Amino acid sequence: MFWDKKIETLKPGELRELQLKRLKKTLFQVQHVDFYRNLLSDAGVKPSSIKTLDDIQKIPFTKKQDLRDGYPFGFFAVPMKKVVRIHTTSGTTGKPTVVGYTKRDLDTWANLIARNMTMVGIGENDIFQNMVNYGMFTGGLGFHYGAEKIGMAVIPSATGNTKRQIEMIMDFGVTTIHCTPSYAMHLSEVAEEMNALLDSLKTGIFGAEAWSESVRRSLEKRLGLTAYDSYGISELFGPGVAFECPERDGLHIWHDSYLVEIINPKTGEQLSDGERGELVVTPLVKEAMPLLRYRTGDVTVLMEDGCLCKRGQKISRITGRSDDMLVIRGINVFPSQIEYVLLKIPEVGNQFMVYIDRINHLDEMTVEVEINRDYFSGELADLARLQKKVVKELRDALELRTTVKLVEPGSLPRFEGKAKRVIDRREVI
Amino acid sequence: MKSWDPRIEEMPKEDLQRMQYKLLKSLVYRLYSFSPFYHDRMKEQNVHPDDIRELSDVKKLPFMFKRDLRDNYPDKIFTSTQEELVRYHVSSGTTGKPTVVGYTQNDLNTWTTSLARALTSIGLGRGDVIQVSYGYGLFTGGLGLHYGAERIGATVLPTSVGNTERQIELMQDLGATAIACTPSYLLHIGEVAEKMGVDIKRDTKLRTGILGAEPWTDRMRTRIEDWLGIKAYDIYGTSELSGPMFTECREQKGFHIWSDIALVEIIDPNTGESLESGQKGELTITILQKEALPMIRYRIGDITTRDDEVCACGRTHPRVQRIQGRVDDMLIIRGINVFPSQIEYALMAIPEVGQHFQIVVERKGALDDMLVRVELTKESFSDKINDLMQVRQKVEHRLRNSLNVNVNVELVEPGSLPRFEGKAKRVVDKRSL
Repeated sequence: MFWDKKIETLKPGELRELQLKRLKKTLFQVQHVDFYRNLLSDAGVKPSSIKTLDDIQKIPFTKKQDLRDGYPFGFFAVPMKKVVRIHTTSGTTGKPTVVGYTKRDLDTWANLIARNMTMVGIGENDIFQNMVNYGMFTGGLGFHYGAEKIGMAVIPSATGNTKRQIEMIMDFGVTTIHCTPSYAMHLSEVAEEMNALLDSLKTGIFGAEAWSESVRRSLEKRLGLTAYDSYGISELFGPGVAFECPERDGLHIWHDSYLVEIINPKTGEQLSDGERGELVVTPLVKEAMPLLRYRTGDVTVLMEDGCLCKRGQKISRITGRSDDMLVIRGINVFPSQIEYVLLKIPEVGNQFMVYIDRINHLDEMTVEVEINRDYFSGELADLARLQKKVVKELRDALELRTTVKLVEPGSLPRFEGKAKRVIDRREVI
Repeated sequence: MKSWDPRIEEMPKEDLQRMQYKLLKSLVYRLYSFSPFYHDRMKEQNVHPDDIRELSDVKKLPFMFKRDLRDNYPDKIFTSTQEELVRYHVSSGTTGKPTVVGYTQNDLNTWTTSLARALTSIGLGRGDVIQVSYGYGLFTGGLGLHYGAERIGATVLPTSVGNTERQIELMQDLGATAIACTPSYLLHIGEVAEKMGVDIKRDTKLRTGILGAEPWTDRMRTRIEDWLGIKAYDIYGTSELSGPMFTECREQKGFHIWSDIALVEIIDPNTGESLESGQKGELTITILQKEALPMIRYRIGDITTRDDEVCACGRTHPRVQRIQGRVDDMLIIRGINVFPSQIEYALMAIPEVGQHFQIVVERKGALDDMLVRVELTKESFSDKINDLMQVRQKVEHRLRNSLNVNVNVELVEPGSLPRFEGKAKRVVDKRSL
C-alpha cells in the first residue's frame, strides 16, 4: 500500500534529479537566514557552486548548538505572518530549540506521516490511539495530523492514566497505537494485571527512543500486534522522517524530502553505504526553517538498495548517539542542560552525578548533587525545601520528573580528565 | 470590524431564522428516520417530524440530558458509521463512565469554522501568535482552540497546560499576542510572572485573553484586564457541543451563538418551559449541523440569559450572557439558592480582596453552614488586628447583602489558597448527603 506511489518508488536517477533541484531551491531559501548567508559566504559557496549532489560537501555542517545561538527566530526563513505553528524541543542548555512551520510545512509533514502509516497497512477504517504527549512535543500533533489526513478515527489520549488508556482500547475497538516502546511494555503489564483482552489491536508504532528486537518480540506477543519502528526529530518537522515497512529490516527514509549523508562524526568525512556513522540530513522541502547538513547526532548505516516493497534505500535502526544526548522516557536530555539548571541554584555545589535506571520498564533518572555549605543552614526543613526546589527546576527545564538526592560536600567523585557524570545503568531494551 | 464570514454573520434575522427552520426540519427528519434513540424519544413525546411547521415548534421536541450520553456509552447514539468518524474526545465523568463524543470530518470543520468566526470577532488574525494553554488531548479545549487559531492563519504555540515558568518564558521570547486558558490559570500565570520579575503589561506582547471552561464574572474580567493590560474575552462550549465554540465579540456583551450552527433556548429548569429573551434560565441548545452525535434540545445545565437584539458589532446572531452558574453547582444554603459566581462578583468589588477565594460548605447540626475563605491583596494584608477585623466585617456585610444569607468569612494570607492549571475547584462541599 502506498500513499504516494510515484514519489515513494522513484527510480534512482529521477530521484537524484529531484533532489538536486530541491537542494538548489533550498540554497536560495536559506539566503533569508543571516546564519546561512554568513556561513555560505565564509565557505565561499554560492547557490551556483552546487552543480551535483556531491557538491553538498562544500557546505559546512549545522549543529544543534547553532540553533541554540539563533534562539528564538534566527533560523526562520519566512516572515512570522507565514508561520502558523511553533514547536520547541530540548536545547543543549536552558533555552529550548524553536522550530517553525508554514501552512505548507504542516501539510508536507502530515503527508510524510500518512506515507508511513499507509506503508504498514493502516487506513481510513482504523481506530488510532495516540498515546504520546501533545503540545510542544512534535510526536503527538505530528501523528495526529498524519492520521487525520488519512481519515481514520483519532483518539488523542496523550500520556498518563494507563488504566483509562486500556479501557479506551477495549471500548472503542482500537486497532493502532502509537507510544514509546517503554510505555508499551508498561501498558502490556497493566493490561495483564487487569486481565484485559486487547484483541482489537493490530499495529503498534513505537518511537522516540531506541529499542531492540527482543523488545519487539515481547511487545508483539503480549499485545498481539505487529510493531514498527518510527524515526524523526523535531528539527526535521518531527516524526515521519523514516519508518519501517512490513519487511521490518531497516527504515525507509524519504529521500525526496531529506537528503541523507552518513559521516564520520570525528572527521566530518562522508562514509560509504554500509559504514556506520552519524546521520546528517538536509531537508529539501521545508519552508519556515530550512537547514543545511544538519547533524542529527544519531548513529546509523545506509543499507543496500533494493527493498522488496520497492521503496528507496533504507537506514538501519538507530544504534546510538555520536554525542552525549540521553533519551529518557522518550524525552531528549543533554547533560549540559542538567548542569545549566544545577549551576543556577546557589545552594547546591558544582559537583553532581546522574544515574539512569529502568524500573518496571520505565526510565528513572536520579540526580545526586552536593550541598553548598556557604548558602545552606543545615536545618532539616531547609533540606526538604531545597530538594523540592531542585526537583522542580529540573522538571521545568527537562519536562521530566527526577529523583534528587542531596549529599555532603566532597562526597561525590572528582574527575581529573574528562568528567563522567552520567551513568546509564539501563540494559538495552 | 472584520468578520470571518460577513454574509452569514451579518445576515438579516429573518433569513437566519428561515435557514434555522430548514436545518431543524431536515435534522428532525433525519434523526426520526435513522436514529433509534431519537425515534423512540419522539414517539414517547408524541411528536412527528411533520409537526415541526415553524421554528418555534422546536418546543415540541424532547429534551436530551447528559445522562443520555452516559447511558449510551460509548457510541450507541452516534448516527454516523465507524468509517465516517475521524475523532473521539472523552470527558472524564465525575461518576462512572465518561462521556464520549465522536466527530466526522464535517463536524470538525463546523467546530473549527465556529471558532474561526469567534476569534476573528475579537480581532485576532494572521499577525497573531496565540498561545494555547488549555490541556491538549482528550479534553476539547486544547485541540479546539488549536484548530480555530490555525484556521485564521495565526501562529499557534501549543504549550498545553503546566510548566508555568516555561510558559511565561515562551510568551516573552516568542512574542505571544494572545493566550487561551482558564481564567484561574491566567491568574496563576500572572502571579508566577510577578515572582519571576516579568511584568506582563510591559515585558510581553500579550494583548488578548480567551478565557473559559469555568464560570467567571465581569468584575474578575476588569481585574484581569487592569492587572495584565489585556482585553479578556469569555469563551463558551462543552464537549457535547463539540468543544469551545463561541466567544464574545469586541463588545464583550455575551457570546454570539451562530444561528446556522446552533439554536438556543433558555428554559425554566423546573418546568421545561421556554423563556423569553432576557429571562434567566437553563441554556438549552440544538446543534443544527452535527453528524456523528446530534444534539436536540440538549440541557447543558448552565444558567444564563439570552439577548436577541442585533449587536453593536453588526452581527445578527443572538447572544448568550456570561454563565452565572450551573444548575448542579447551585448551593442551597438554608433554603436560599447561592451560585459561586455571585460570591465572586461580590468579592471582586472589594479592593482589599485578592483574586482567590474558596467556599467551604458544611452541615452543622441540621443547618448548612458556609465559610468563605478570602485571600487579601499584598497591600492590604497587615498584621494589625483592627484593620483585619474591619475588612472581615466589610466582606461579611457585602456577602450578606448580595446573597441574603449569613456567611462566615475567614481572611487568609496572599498566596495561601490553592492555584489551578485547569478548571478551578473553588467549592469544597463537606456535607455528607
